[in-house]
Amino acid sequence: MNAVPAGPLFVSPPVEPAVDWLRALPILVALPAVAILLWGLVRGYLPPALAVAGLVLPAAAYGLGMLMVMEESKDVRFCGSCHVMTPIVESLHATDGSSLAAIHYTRGLVPTGEACYTCHSGYGIWGTFSAKRAGMMHMLRTVTGRYTLPIALNGTFDINSCLGCHAGAESFRAVEAHKDPELQKALLDRTMTCTGACHPAAHPEEALTGGRATS
Amino acid sequence: MIRVACVLALIALAILILVAVRLDGATATIFSFIGIPALVAAMGLYVLHRWRTGAFHPTGTSRPSTH
Repeated sequence: MNAVPAGPLFVSPPVEPAVDWLRALPILVALPAVAILLWGLVRGYLPPALAVAGLVLPAAAYGLGMLMVMEESKDVRFCGSCHVMTPIVESLHATDGSSLAAIHYTRGLVPTGEACYTCHSGYGIWGTFSAKRAGMMHMLRTVTGRYTLPIALNGTFDINSCLGCHAGAESFRAVEAHKDPELQKALLDRTMTCTGACHPAAHPEEALTGGRATS
Repeated sequence: MIRVACVLALIALAILILVAVRLDGATATIFSFIGIPALVAAMGLYVLHRWRTGAFHPTGTSRPSTH
């Protein structure tokens, strides 16, 4: 792996010199709730006003917490924090052009802080919803050990995730193969994918099998 | 019953604070599969307790809590 150059210019996403309210708010709401609940635990009774606060504040804290998890789980470091995904995230740094994901990541063609989420979520609110639902299933499968190596995409990759950026690019439109009506039909029918025949695999095989990718 | 509800809610809030301090796959899994069910169970227990003490009865008169 290449040495990472030091300095604030190379930090991605840029660090905002401010309070991280996304993380602070759930804690700020949770703390008074903890005090009320401890009081209820000791006394075995909660007056009506405190009982309402004891119901509303934890619910509000969890609502804010869910927003935080939804937002911050887009981070590449979050994706790589599960053992099965760690080799895949590490392989993003390979500069030999051996995988499509690494090409996009090392050339800065996707936001490096949210590279996984950028390609693995569809557009619009339902794209986000589907990605989060898939993430929940990933967690469930990880906890129960119900997955096999090499890990594989559930279904076919949504080519719209590629076309969202590439379709309007002149360099993409200029490629002769992309102008072929048969190829266009095959890609849009999902009978063919970008990877394999024309472009390198999305991720190196050794990363999908849990091993370490070489760079 | 109130004490059990408080304990469950406190467990849920402890998990929430842990997630806010250190979010990764492990803590997010605990948040989703232990924290949220614990909070829902706590709220359910509290509502059940209130119902048993007459809070939601049609007469609108609730018996005083037996603590």
